[in-house]
Amino acid sequence: VRLTALVVALAALVFAAPALGDNGGLTPVEPASENAQAIHDAYILILFVTGFVFVVVETTLVVFLVRYRRGNRVREAEGPQLRGHTRIEVAWTVVPVLLLAIIVAFVFVKLPEIEDAPAAGPAGSLEIQVEGHQYYWLYRYPGGEIAIDDLVVPVNRVVDLEIVAPDVIHSWWIPALGGKIDAIPGRTNRTWFKAERAGTFTGRCAELCGAQHAAMTASVQAVDDAAFARFLAAHAPSSQTVGQETFEGVCAKCHGLEGQGTDEAPAIAGREFDRTTVQLIKNGGTRMPAVGEDWSNEHIAATIRYLNESIGAP
Amino acid sequence: VAASQHTAPALDWKQGRVTSWLTTTDHKRIGILYIVTSLVFFVIAGLLALLIRLQLAAPDQDFIAGDKFNELFTVHGTAMVFLVVVPILAGFGNYLVPLMIGARDMAFPKLNALSYWLFLAGGIVLYASFFANGGASSAGWTGYPPLSGSEFSPGNGVDLWILSLHLLSLSSLAGAINFVVTIFNMRTRGMTFMRMPLFIWAIFTYAVLLILILPVLSGGLTLLLLDRQLGTHFFVPDEGGSALLWQHVFWFFGHPEVYVMILPAFGIVSEVIPVFARKPIFGYAAIAFSTLGIAFAGMLVWAHHMFTVGMGTGLNSFFMIASFLVAVPTGIKILNWLATLWRGNISFDTPMLFALGLIALFVIGGLTGIVIAAYPVDWQLHDTYFIVAHFHYTLFGGAMFGIFAGLYYWWPKMFGRRLDERLGKWHFWLMFAGFNLAFMPQHFLGLLGMPRRVSTYTEGGQWEIYNRLSTVGAFLMGVAILVFAVNVVRSRNAPRVGNDPWHGDTLEWFATSPPPPDNWTQPLPYVSSARPLRDYRTRLEETRRG
Repeated sequence: VRLTALVVALAALVFAAPALGDNGGLTPVEPASENAQAIHDAYILILFVTGFVFVVVETTLVVFLVRYRRGNRVREAEGPQLRGHTRIEVAWTVVPVLLLAIIVAFVFVKLPEIEDAPAAGPAGSLEIQVEGHQYYWLYRYPGGEIAIDDLVVPVNRVVDLEIVAPDVIHSWWIPALGGKIDAIPGRTNRTWFKAERAGTFTGRCAELCGAQHAAMTASVQAVDDAAFARFLAAHAPSSQTVGQETFEGVCAKCHGLEGQGTDEAPAIAGREFDRTTVQLIKNGGTRMPAVGEDWSNEHIAATIRYLNESIGAP
Repeated sequence: VAASQHTAPALDWKQGRVTSWLTTTDHKRIGILYIVTSLVFFVIAGLLALLIRLQLAAPDQDFIAGDKFNELFTVHGTAMVFLVVVPILAGFGNYLVPLMIGARDMAFPKLNALSYWLFLAGGIVLYASFFANGGASSAGWTGYPPLSGSEFSPGNGVDLWILSLHLLSLSSLAGAINFVVTIFNMRTRGMTFMRMPLFIWAIFTYAVLLILILPVLSGGLTLLLLDRQLGTHFFVPDEGGSALLWQHVFWFFGHPEVYVMILPAFGIVSEVIPVFARKPIFGYAAIAFSTLGIAFAGMLVWAHHMFTVGMGTGLNSFFMIASFLVAVPTGIKILNWLATLWRGNISFDTPMLFALGLIALFVIGGLTGIVIAAYPVDWQLHDTYFIVAHFHYTLFGGAMFGIFAGLYYWWPKMFGRRLDERLGKWHFWLMFAGFNLAFMPQHFLGLLGMPRRVSTYTEGGQWEIYNRLSTVGAFLMGVAILVFAVNVVRSRNAPRVGNDPWHGDTLEWFATSPPPPDNWTQPLPYVSSARPLRDYRTRLEETRRG
């Protein structure tokens, strides 16, 4: 009886909390791309099947415990000496196989929607290279534009991502726009999404990549074509915007947004940023990763310029 | 008379209170050493977990940030697997295998002692690595290169982590060989394989799995050590190595390791349920063969830990379907346990509560395993808190609950005194409530998008609520462990029990509690079924009635 009460109380607790929120974490975050939607559908089916099994097994357990408790019987009194029953055992081997077969079939039906990008529209698909670094994401657009951490894409256009990493393994993941895929040194992985509505979708690096793993966030902003054109125009590697994004996404995660220093890294504000800084960015220091080992000269120059203007020696 | 004594008297210095333990080759003493040491390591690794939960109790905390946090979960995970669950099961195996099969000791008593001392050394190396140059390893219990390579983990933490795992692998390997040889060769008269206790089936399978997978881990660790110390490039992509090679090697070991940890716990449940339901186990053969079935299928599923590395549809599908297949023999076990309860005479003593708790909780861990075996769904859930919740339901809700069932069940045999039932029930209910409170919300955190192994998060709202609940639950589990500790201390003064306090089915209850050095004081009954002690009691009863 106590077990029943506890199970009921727990179930209430478990389901009351999520009920207060939107989905509360009972299902993956609300999809905004067809692949995420198909994964969501597969999840719901599996949740339904496994939820059914859960209810059947736990109810049986609780009912048996209540019904066949010792009560007033003597402790040593034996139950019927049943050693097995072939037909029942075959049944409870076959039924789970059938349930699993349903899941496998449904996953395979959904697979094309998840793995294959839909036909690109008249504008064609947009190919972007995503580089996972300690501890930021660097995006390279086809026209040479770059952005850090915040990816901006046109809404309703297929975006093909090429995922790489120059240092350690990271994992690209924007839950609303599909599953995650690892960024692995020495490999190129691919994924795609097509944002079906405008908005900002956030995500995080999902593979342990070092001390600042938690700071390695990402977002995708889906905007209309005009805004996208404005974005590209502002994101040439030599631009001030890129310099600023680089400072905020790369330097500030360890050195602080005012360059004031943190537990992880020393203060850098108030100094002059020069060729030594360039070497540090390219090759790393004792504890500092080589954050800019594959940056172009314009990109590095824009960063140095921004550093001197914002937190450099007065 | 003294001349007829067939063993030479032990040297004096070996008979001291401490030295007799240091030099023992008695399987029961080695078993107790294993269990006590593992419990101490369990408390330390549990405290590390509480620090992790403190740091995550609220957003934007920097109580333990960055690499320090990463060291905590790396050592917590490594310790719980290698210093707690695997060795404590080796402890149960050591204590129980000879007793349950009617032998006087393990096949190789000195090798057995060596296994224990290697284990102790490995544990000390792992925990002491916190004080190494650069701290303990912060690369996760999976130690993926390049992060675990010398460029990104420059201190000695990873080297010591490797040394520790090498020692522990040798220890487990020697122990596993000992179990297999003992079980094959030293069963008493009449005990065929199909009359062995189901716990012995489980330990047999545990040992065979360890023999198959540990050399692979040792090989991988050696390559990693060579990369770090001698400049080889097995896992260095820039130099032609492969980061993924390590993942395949690690998980070829790492996934079967999960079954190494859970199968003996299942074995404990298969011993406890029939005794407290007063019925024979339902489907003995089905449970025995499902143990082998899980082990076999479990060797073919390792890359389901790697669905996000970009393996392609073919391999992903193979590993998805193979993973689903593991659910079938696992389901068979659970349904057979339920059938054993059916029409039983169920007593809710603490061992039974923990065994039932395992069933209730493992079902959840098993079912969430199906959710993440579907590889596109895993693309959403991989490396999130959903995974953390899933494997804690299998390894804590499963393995640790089974281990506690075993401790309460066999404690009277090991020490001649029972653990207190009232404290035991407090222990169980606090643990059951705390566990669900700690780990159920983590499923939702994962679905909301919280990756595992992050030292902090910025989101408030539901993220904060669930994290807070989880922390409260973790501390409730800590209280439960305190209750257990009090129980252990107080059991020293508990009244003595007889040979067979639970009216057991298996031969260990034929020995005195605790058994003498060579185990048996009277000739063992011929074994004519899987429940030799019940047969023995029935015969005594018949004789008494005439």
